[in-house]
Amino acid sequence: MSTENVDAAGPVRRGPAPGEPRTGLRARLSHAWQPFRRASRVSRVLIFSGLGIVVFFLFAAFLGPLLYEYDGTQYRVEVAPGQFEPIRALQPPSGEHPLGTTRDQFDVLGRIIDGASLAFAVMALAVSIAMILGVTLGLLSGYRGGPIDRALVTAMDAVYAFPALVLAIITAFALSAIISPGVIPAAAAVGVVYIPQYFRVVRNHTLSVKQEPFVEAARSMGAKERTVLGRYVFFNVVQTVPVILTLNAADSILVLASLGFLGYGVPPPTAEWGYDISRAITDVPAGVWWTALWPGLAIVILVTALTLVGEGLNDVINPLLRSRGKTGPKIEPAPREDTPADGGTAAGAAGAADAGQQSGRPSVAVRGLRVGYRTPDGPLWAVDDVSFDIYPGESLGLVGESGCGKSSLGRALMRLMPPGGVVRGRVEVAGEDMVGISESRLRNKRGQDLGLVFQEPMTRLNPLMKISDHFIEMIRTHKPKVSRAEALEIARTALSQMGIPPTRVESYPHEFSGGMRQRAMIALSIALEPKVIVADEPTTSLDVIVESQILDIFGRLRSEEQIGLLLVTHNLGLVAETCDRVAVMYAGKIVEIGPVDQIFNDPKHPYTRGLLASTISLETTELHSIEGYPPSLIDPPPGCRFAPRCPYVMDHCTDAVPQLAETNPEQRAACYLYPGAGAPVPEGVRAPEGNPQETGV
Amino acid sequence: MVLILLTLVFLLLRAVPGDPVTATLGGRATPAQIEAAQEAMGLNDPLIVQYLQYMGGALTGDFGNPVTDPRGVVEIVAETAPATMELALAGMLVAVTVGILVGGLAGRLRDTPFDIGGRLFGIIAYAAPVFWTGLLAQLFFAVKLGWLPSSGRAGGFDQPEWITGFYVLDSLLTGDMAALQSTIEHLILPAITLGLLVGGIFIRLVRVNMMQTLRSDYVEAARARGLRERNVLYRYGFKTALIPIVTIMGLQFALLLGNAVLTERTFNWPGLAQALVDFIGQRDYAAVQGIVTFIALVIVGVSLIIDIITGLVDPRVRY
Repeated sequence: MSTENVDAAGPVRRGPAPGEPRTGLRARLSHAWQPFRRASRVSRVLIFSGLGIVVFFLFAAFLGPLLYEYDGTQYRVEVAPGQFEPIRALQPPSGEHPLGTTRDQFDVLGRIIDGASLAFAVMALAVSIAMILGVTLGLLSGYRGGPIDRALVTAMDAVYAFPALVLAIITAFALSAIISPGVIPAAAAVGVVYIPQYFRVVRNHTLSVKQEPFVEAARSMGAKERTVLGRYVFFNVVQTVPVILTLNAADSILVLASLGFLGYGVPPPTAEWGYDISRAITDVPAGVWWTALWPGLAIVILVTALTLVGEGLNDVINPLLRSRGKTGPKIEPAPREDTPADGGTAAGAAGAADAGQQSGRPSVAVRGLRVGYRTPDGPLWAVDDVSFDIYPGESLGLVGESGCGKSSLGRALMRLMPPGGVVRGRVEVAGEDMVGISESRLRNKRGQDLGLVFQEPMTRLNPLMKISDHFIEMIRTHKPKVSRAEALEIARTALSQMGIPPTRVESYPHEFSGGMRQRAMIALSIALEPKVIVADEPTTSLDVIVESQILDIFGRLRSEEQIGLLLVTHNLGLVAETCDRVAVMYAGKIVEIGPVDQIFNDPKHPYTRGLLASTISLETTELHSIEGYPPSLIDPPPGCRFAPRCPYVMDHCTDAVPQLAETNPEQRAACYLYPGAGAPVPEGVRAPEGNPQETGV
Repeated sequence: MVLILLTLVFLLLRAVPGDPVTATLGGRATPAQIEAAQEAMGLNDPLIVQYLQYMGGALTGDFGNPVTDPRGVVEIVAETAPATMELALAGMLVAVTVGILVGGLAGRLRDTPFDIGGRLFGIIAYAAPVFWTGLLAQLFFAVKLGWLPSSGRAGGFDQPEWITGFYVLDSLLTGDMAALQSTIEHLILPAITLGLLVGGIFIRLVRVNMMQTLRSDYVEAARARGLRERNVLYRYGFKTALIPIVTIMGLQFALLLGNAVLTERTFNWPGLAQALVDFIGQRDYAAVQGIVTFIALVIVGVSLIIDIITGLVDPRVRY
C-alpha cells in the first residue's frame, strides 16, 4: 500500500480567492489595516490613545510657542514699548500663569512647551544618529563578515551591556572636550545608547540573506548583489524597526531628562524638563509643588504614550503576541438542542449514525460533535456535526486533507480548546459526557480515561522536569494514594514496555532523542491505562524505524490492554497498516466511514475515491489529483461541501447536506449517489465501484 | 568581553582630542604644573603605551589616581561601591518581586482589566524618571507623613561598624539592631523608587514570556494529562517563563546601575555613582576613567554570575 500523504491530493494553487480586494488606494489601505484588524481590541486602543497623546504634544511643541504668550526663557514682560516688568518668581498657578512660575522667574507652561520642542528635536536627532550609525555598521558587519564582523559584534555587545545612562553621561563628557554643549552633543550622547539595537537587527538580516539562494540567482542573472541585498534587508528590517524606533524615542526623552537633571544636558537657560526638575528640588520642601510636578508629568505622559504606541505595534507585528481566538464575534454558548435527541444512551443509538463492527459498549461514543473557533470574519466550525464510536481494543483512523478539522476533532474529545474555541455535542467516555461535565471532572478524565499523543514530541515535555517527575506528577494527581516510589515503579514499567531502559527515568527530556521522547510521551499517556488513546500524527516527525516501533506498541496495547485508538493522520498507508476502521473527513464533516479493507478496496464517496486515487502505490501508472481546493469553513457551500469539486455533482447536491447512507454492511457514505442520503437517486445515475486506482475515480 | 569593554572606555576617554590635565586643572595651574602633571600621568607617552599601561593597571586592580582627590580610585571605590551595591541589590529585589507578581498574573489573565492595568502600571513605572518619583516619594513619605528619612544612608550613631560596607550585613554581623532599623528605613524609599522603574521592565518581560509559555506545546500536553490547573500554571507556565528572564537579568542590572546614578543624586546616597558624577563635574579624567573601569568590571562579573545561575536552574545548560 502507499505511504503518500493526502495533502498531495489537492494541487497547491495560489490564485486570487473570490472576494480578494482589488488594487487601488482603498484596497491598499485595507491591506495595511489587516494586521490591526487581527490584533486584539486592547492593542488597537493602546496604539491609538498613545498616538493621540503624542500628536497633542507635537501640536504643543510646534504651535504652542505661537499661541502662548510666554516664552520659556522669558523673565520679564514688556508692558509698554521699551518698558519691562519682571515676572515674579515662584507664583502658584493662576489665570495669568496657568501652571505657575519658577524661581528663575520663568513661566512654567512656557517652559513645558519649549521643553517639548527640545525633547522632540533631541529625540529625532538621537534616533537618526543611532539608526544611521547602527544600520551602516550593521550592513558593513554582515556584508563583509570576518574579523571586522567579529570586532564590531563584540564591541556592540559591550556597548549594549554597559549601563545606558552612564554611557550617555560619559559620551556627553567626552564630547564636551571637543564641542561646546548644546542640542547636537546632547542628542549624540543619547543616540549612542541605541546604536547596538539597529546594528544587531540589520547585521543578522544581512548575514542571513547572504546565504539565500535567490541572491546567488540574482547575481548569476547579472543583477547587482548589493541592490538585491539592500532590498531584501530593507523589507525585512522595515518590519522590526518601527517598534525599536518608537521605544527608543520614548527612552531618549528619559535619557535626555536624566542628563539634564545631572547637569550634563543642554546648558541652561534652555528649557529642558529634567533640568527644570533639578532646579525644583529645593522648592519641594518649601511647599512649592508646581515647579517639579508639571515637567515630571510631561515626561511621564509623553514617554508612556510613546511606549504605548511601540508596545501596541509590537503586539500587531509580532505574531507570537497576537491573542488567538480573541478577535471577532463571540460564539454563543452551546444551545443544548444541538445535541441529538437520542442522547441518553449514546451507545444504544450507535447504529443510527455509525455501523460499529463490534457489539458491546463503545469506549468512546461521539454524537453531533461540533468544534468552533472565533475569527475576525465570524465563527468557523472546524468540526461540524460528527458522530462515531470507538470500541475497546479497536483502532479508528481519521484521515483527510490538512485543515479538514481532524486535529480539532482529536483535541475536542478531551475538550482541549484554545481560548475562543467551543465544543458542542456529546463525547461519552466511560458513561460521562466530556462536553457537559465540570472542569474538575474533566481534568480527572483527561489522562486517566483518555490519553493524547501529539505530533511533535520534541516540545511536549517540560524541559525543566525529569521524565520521572512527569510520571509521578500525573499519577499522583489522578491517584493521590499512590506513593512516589510506587509511581516511579509504574514509570519504569511503562518506559521499559516502550523499549526505553528504566534507568533513563531520571533523565531530562533534552537528553532523549525524538523517537525516545515520543515513546516516553506514549508511556506517559498509557501509564494510567486509559480507555482510548488519541494519537495525532504520532509518527510524522520520526523516521520509519521508530515509526514501526511505535505502531507495534499501539498494536500491543490494543490486543493486550484492550485500549482503543483514534489515529489522526493524513498518511493513508499508516491507516491501512494500523487501523480496523477508517473515517474520512472533508471540510469538517465525516463523508465516509467503514472497515479499512472495504474503504480501501471499494470506496463509495467521490472524495474518498479521489483521495485514494491520488496516492502512490507500486501499481500507480498515472497520478490523479482532485481539482480545486477545500472550501472556507467560515462560509461553507450549501448542501454537500464536496460538490464544487465533485466529478459526479448533480443539481440537488447543493440543496441540503447529505446524510451518511449505508452502502455496504458496516460502510456508510454521505453522498446522494446512494439511496438513504436524504434524496432519491435520479434515474440512470450509476455510482462508481471498485478500487479507484484500478477502475478510476 | 572584559578587554573590549576596557578598550572602549579607554577610547572614549583618552583618544578624544583635548587634554585631560588642562581640562581638569584649567586656569588654576601654571604651565609648568600642567607639564608636570601630564608627565606624571604619562600623557606624553604614545597612545599605544598609554593603552597598554591602562589595560595592565585595570587588570591588576590599579585604577589610577584622581587629580582632585588625594585618595586612589581603589580607595574611593572601596568606600562608595558597597553603598551602591546595597542599593542596587535592594532595588533588584523590589523589581523582581513586582515584576514576577504583576507580570506573571497579567500574562495569565491576558486581556482582562488586571492585565491592562498591570501593563499600564509597568509602562508608567518605567516612564517616570527616577529623580521625579524619588522627589514625590520624599515629599509624601518623608516630609508630609514623616514615616521615613528623606535622604542619606544610616549615619551618626546609627551607622554600623564598617566591616563589608553593606550596612544591612554589617549591622547583622555586629548584632546592632538600632543600626539595622535605621539602615532599612533609609533604604526603603530609594530602593522602591529604583526598583519600580526596573520592575516596569520586568513586568513587561515576565508577562510576554508567561503568555508565550502558556500557549506552548508542553502546557497543552500537561493539560491533556489532566494535571491540576494550578500545577500547569506554576510548574509548566511560570517556572519555564522565568528562565529567559534570568538570562537577561544581567542587562537589567546594567539598567539598574545606570539609574542608580539618578537615585543616589536624588536621595543623597553616598555611593559610587554619586562619586562618578562629582568627578565628572570636576572634570577629573583620571578618576572618571578609574570608576568607569570598575563599573565595566562589575558588569562583566554580573553577567558571569547570571551565567552560573542559569546553569543551576536550567538543566539544558551545562558547562
